[in-house]
Amino acid sequence: MTAYVEWKSVYKAFGDNPVLRGMDLAVTKGEVLYIIGTSGVGKSVAIKLLLGLLRADAGEIWFDGARVDQLPERELAKLRRRVGMVFQSSTLFDSMTLAENVALLLRKHHALSQAKAITEARTRLEQVYMADYADRYPAELSDGMRKRAAIARTLALGPDVVLFDEPTTGLDPVSARRIDQLVRELAKTGITAIVVSHDPPSIFGVADRIALLYQGVVRALATPAELEASTDPVVQQFIRGRSAGPMETPGF
Amino acid sequence: MIARLGSAMIDYAKAARDLWLVYVSTIAGIVRARRSRSPRGEVARQMFSIGNRSLVFIIVTLGFIGMVMTYEACLQLSHVTGDFSQLGMQFIRLIVSDFGPTLCAMMLATRVGAGIAAEIGSMKVTEQVDALRMSGVLPIDYLIVPRFIASLVMTLALSVVGATVMYLAGGLTAKFSFGVNPNLFFDLELLRLRHVGMFVVKALAYGATIPVVAGFCGLRARGSSEGVGWATTAAVIGSSFAVIVLDFVISAAALFIFGGDL
Amino acid sequence: MIRFVGAATTRVAQEIGGILVMTWQVLRALFPPKIDGRELWKNLYKMGNRSVPIVVLTAFFAGGLMTLQTGPFVKRLGATSIAGWGAGYAVLREIGPILIALMFSGRVGANNTAELATMTVTEQLDGLRALAIDPVQFLVVPRVLAMIAMLVALTVIGDLVALTGASVVGHSMLEIDWATMYHSFADNLRPHDFLHGVYKAFWFGGAIAVASCYFGVTVKGGAVGVGRAVNAAVVASAVSIMLLDFFITYLST
Repeated sequence: MTAYVEWKSVYKAFGDNPVLRGMDLAVTKGEVLYIIGTSGVGKSVAIKLLLGLLRADAGEIWFDGARVDQLPERELAKLRRRVGMVFQSSTLFDSMTLAENVALLLRKHHALSQAKAITEARTRLEQVYMADYADRYPAELSDGMRKRAAIARTLALGPDVVLFDEPTTGLDPVSARRIDQLVRELAKTGITAIVVSHDPPSIFGVADRIALLYQGVVRALATPAELEASTDPVVQQFIRGRSAGPMETPGF
Repeated sequence: MIARLGSAMIDYAKAARDLWLVYVSTIAGIVRARRSRSPRGEVARQMFSIGNRSLVFIIVTLGFIGMVMTYEACLQLSHVTGDFSQLGMQFIRLIVSDFGPTLCAMMLATRVGAGIAAEIGSMKVTEQVDALRMSGVLPIDYLIVPRFIASLVMTLALSVVGATVMYLAGGLTAKFSFGVNPNLFFDLELLRLRHVGMFVVKALAYGATIPVVAGFCGLRARGSSEGVGWATTAAVIGSSFAVIVLDFVISAAALFIFGGDL
Repeated sequence: MIRFVGAATTRVAQEIGGILVMTWQVLRALFPPKIDGRELWKNLYKMGNRSVPIVVLTAFFAGGLMTLQTGPFVKRLGATSIAGWGAGYAVLREIGPILIALMFSGRVGANNTAELATMTVTEQLDGLRALAIDPVQFLVVPRVLAMIAMLVALTVIGDLVALTGASVVGHSMLEIDWATMYHSFADNLRPHDFLHGVYKAFWFGGAIAVASCYFGVTVKGGAVGVGRAVNAAVVASAVSIMLLDFFITYLST
């Protein structure tokens, strides 16, 4: 199997603080891959590097057979239509209703008129069970609802890969499971999903494979079952959520 | 429509009452501060902060506007009469009785007013103002009173600097662009004590208004970053507008007091 | 002390550089023109709505003030027929455009910075980029165009209101009758003076727009940062207005 998305010994530091120190990771087409790790370990940085929202200090990033980490801003627009991202904070535009948020994308990228785009946006919102809230503004809704609308908006791009940055963090358990379900449904349509998370139920319920990021490199890459059976003490400490163990966490 | 207008009127009336309360509390705060001899250091720090932040800004903006005004006036005079003898005298009269303090205060409203609102607004939304209240300190005494005193002094001082820069910049422009003799330009013959009086009254009025309006906007900030942005915007527009209205009121009052001879 | 001045100079140079880069990006996005019509209309409507009342009031007072300052002098000379000359000339060429631009910067410019800054700190700008929409093209360009158009329109309206204010004050406080005031405007003011002010408004609008957008999208650090960005934007606008005013006046004569 050839890699669809690949990080090749990627380095990234913020000031004197190295975050990624030679990260290698290959994602195959159509899988649901979870990137897990403690806070501040660089999971979100890794996916922002893929989109060109941040620039790597060294290393290469490949997508669908082409190198993407050095593309100029204009070329990046093409990449970003194929690789969508759902931000942790949803980043819905708060001056627009949910329908307008989704319609904006349809209007910009699929050249629909405003009226048609709004109609289309409603059907898109229906797919994430948010049709009843199409005319509400993001500020009036709960985090889980915003997240679902953000997913609908990202899907309006018609992407091949969707990146999720901590989609279930800060949500109540019920909303979190609904998001998990959406991620799973996406995978069935052939979309590759890369999810950054540290929410155990999601990880083990949804993931095809899991990458554990530790000290700037991928420490383990395995299926959920393999990971659970792992003898690596660091892996065991993380998935069991123990405070004591060999793991070094900054600040403790 | 009428209901909307009505509710808008009520909002304005409420805001005006709150603003008035802040003003009264500030004055009361000053009286209290005099009695309890509160730390002078805070006032000095605010004065330094206002002066330091605004000095270069005032010199640049008022210098340029002094140049432009003289240039325009010379241009117009050279079309009509070609007589520049009154130019400098009238210019200093206008600067002292109006443009100096007013333009300076307009600039301070954007620089200092926005700064105060941003600072106090940030403290409000991060609940530091509530923390002050919890520790038994009145936010107005602690946050607005020192800025009020500092602004009163610094607005007057910066107005003097600004007016001087404007006058000098005007004189230089007249000399180098139209060959007006500096001896003729820098002539204070028309300047009367009442003009200087207006200068002081206006500068003090503006200096007293800017921090109160800005502090009031800052204390009304709600929510998070959006609230702070809103407060800062409101402070700029509120204090600039207050300056213009005060200028008009004081000038009109002076016109009546001095019997139509400004 | 020298280090302090040096640091301040570097910072100012950096901001100026940033503003120039943004200007360049805006200009590049205009050729070929790919303007989002909906955003443009939305902004025009919002900005107009916000700024018309305050600008009209300001202009009225400004006009009145000019008569207050020049009127007594003209009256003493007994030359009320030129009462409108001084006031009108000052209003149309200088005071009108400058005061209106300053109020516009405080109202619309500051608001724009606050709005963009809030979007930036809540990652909405990164959100746009991730959705393959260029924030400069989608957010900044319509705002810049709307602000230029709006300030030009406001200056035209404001000039008329200011002249009205000048007449009202002349009439009620200095007993100069309406007809005299009108004729002294009509005889002494040329269309050229009016256009000179409007031409300035065009450039002021552009400067306010670019400065306010620049400080909005480069904001750092949450709520505190938003306040600082608004402050920096209005200060930069005020300085640009004064500098531009000087150079335009100097170069156009």
